[in-house]
Amino acid sequence: MKRAAPPKKRQLRLRLYVAGEAPNSVAAIRHLRVLLADYPSHVAELEIIDVLQHPEPGAREGVLVTPTMIKLAPLPERRIIGNLKDTEALISMLGLTESERG
Amino acid sequence: MVKQNKGCIRYVPTGIVGFDEVIGGGLPAERITVVLGGAGSGKTIFGAQLLAAGARDHAEAGLFVAFEESAKAIFENAATFTWNIDSLRSKIEVLDARLSESVVHGGDFDLLGLLAVIGAKAKATGAKRIVLDGLDVLLGHLGDSALARREVFRLRDWLHVSGMTAVITAKAGADEAQAASDYDFLQFMADCVVTMQHRVVAGTALRLIRVAKCRGGAHSANEFPFSITDAGIEVGAGSNTELRHVVSARRVSSGMERLDGMLSGGYYRGSSTLITGAPGTAKTTLAAAFADAASRRKERTLFVSFDEAPEQIVRNVESIGIHLAPHIRAGTLKIYSLRSRVASPEAHVASIRALLREHRADNLIVDPISALAPRSGNADAEGAAVHIVDLAKTQGITSVITSLLGNAAPLTKETPIGISTIADTWMHLAYVVNGGERNRALTIVKSRGTGHSNQVRELVLTSAGITFADVYSVDGEVLMGTLRWQTENEQGRLRKSAKRDAEFRQREAELAVAETKVRAQAVVVEQAVREATLERLKLDRESDVSQTATQNLELLHRRGDDDLRVAPLQKAKRSRR
Repeated sequence: MKRAAPPKKRQLRLRLYVAGEAPNSVAAIRHLRVLLADYPSHVAELEIIDVLQHPEPGAREGVLVTPTMIKLAPLPERRIIGNLKDTEALISMLGLTESERG
Repeated sequence: MVKQNKGCIRYVPTGIVGFDEVIGGGLPAERITVVLGGAGSGKTIFGAQLLAAGARDHAEAGLFVAFEESAKAIFENAATFTWNIDSLRSKIEVLDARLSESVVHGGDFDLLGLLAVIGAKAKATGAKRIVLDGLDVLLGHLGDSALARREVFRLRDWLHVSGMTAVITAKAGADEAQAASDYDFLQFMADCVVTMQHRVVAGTALRLIRVAKCRGGAHSANEFPFSITDAGIEVGAGSNTELRHVVSARRVSSGMERLDGMLSGGYYRGSSTLITGAPGTAKTTLAAAFADAASRRKERTLFVSFDEAPEQIVRNVESIGIHLAPHIRAGTLKIYSLRSRVASPEAHVASIRALLREHRADNLIVDPISALAPRSGNADAEGAAVHIVDLAKTQGITSVITSLLGNAAPLTKETPIGISTIADTWMHLAYVVNGGERNRALTIVKSRGTGHSNQVRELVLTSAGITFADVYSVDGEVLMGTLRWQTENEQGRLRKSAKRDAEFRQREAELAVAETKVRAQAVVVEQAVREATLERLKLDRESDVSQTATQNLELLHRRGDDDLRVAPLQKAKRSRR
């Protein structure tokens, strides 16, 4: 059962660094997708970079551990590391609130 | 470049003077060496020196992964040694691998990203040597020791495949037993384990290095003393323990005649003096007086000031008759300001070492060393402070170090970042507030090998310079300033008053004796009166009783009573006669 789209969707721009099919990396993508589905008020633009295939951008951005996710917009830019199973930390880092949850 | 050495294991020379002999040729090639040690024990220098030597002597590229310090700081520190690091920069890549404090933790993570990044860098530069400096910092973020273990083994496997000779450094407890329990798995995965220690033994700083384990190597398992010189780490020969004995018996003036007197002639040349005190107690002034005296002796002095500009220091001490400007112009004195917050404590040590060499200093002043540690209990800062004192001592440089310390008694446990134990002389300056005045008091807490006054002296700053006033003590309290003058007068007055008091009290006592005598006589009279009264009462009673008996007899006769009833009366009559 889908609701009508709200008048104005807010934008999230995210970049997620993963390491191939490593368990933490796979889990991070899953956790993030599940959470974003709960927030129809936002539209997320998600870029996933596999450091095993493309190490250069990670090196430039100082990515050390995987998974690492960078919130590029809205500002301020923030970073979170880990498989994103800590939903509370993820919500707070993305600047979402419980009330916006659909 | 790799040395062939009995059979399958090859060795990579470290370029660390004396160390290759200890370890039996060098670090095992394409294997992992773990270097464990406390804060400021020299681990980072060990790693940097390995890469510098590889680049310089063997044209081998190196990769330095810095978990604790910025890449910039690593290069700056390395530049303070005589390795000519700038010319080697094309061969050495430093990867800034610090995790930002502001990063949010959102679940388990792994080092796969890091390994991918390192792998890409190593491939690009063709690195043969890799140093992972401060791995404990990264492992700390993992939180869980099972996770840390898993990632360390992942790292080991990756390094073995990479074909690089690796050094992993980690901060561990101060003593070896503690280090062993902190990172047992780190040691287990390593092919070679080196421990570095920095401890204070009987008042002297001692650096020790030991190869705790090395697969297949003919290493010596003994502890070897080492020192950190301009050339970097030097093991064995020329160690600080031997140099330490070249302590001069010569005295140099502190710049204050009275203080020299209190110290039986001044500071020992090559010794270290610690001056502690609250803000504004003239620590800098005392240090400046020493610098002035040194320049007058035509000695060269390096004055390192934290967070205060040279001009400011010169101007401030000018007001009390210490003129440093001519010495700066003549080149004997160099005042150098360092900003305490911009670099780590160890980076400051490196800067000071380079400055000492550059200036060819005979004397070193650091004002105040407490700037290294805004909070107390900072092990890095403590290590650095000890390192600075040690640096000066091993080179025979006379040092005067100031440190901010509260007005609390200097003998409490809160000694200024650890150096009080290795300083040869320790003076404490305190404000003594009494009678609405704040006066500066100087105490010599300790002075090795010197007969020193244990009395407190008042420090008086005038436009003509620094003088010390004798202390005046009353009831075990030291008096200063106006209060001393006032008390001297007061004492005279009190003495007169006391005399009058005594006279008065004597007269009072005499009167009391006289009065007592009178009272005693009165009592004797009273006693006589009372005795007389008593006598009269007795007589009255006797006559009364005999009268009554006669009356009773009379009465009985008249009633005509029988004998039996009369008998007691007759008895009574008889007994009375």
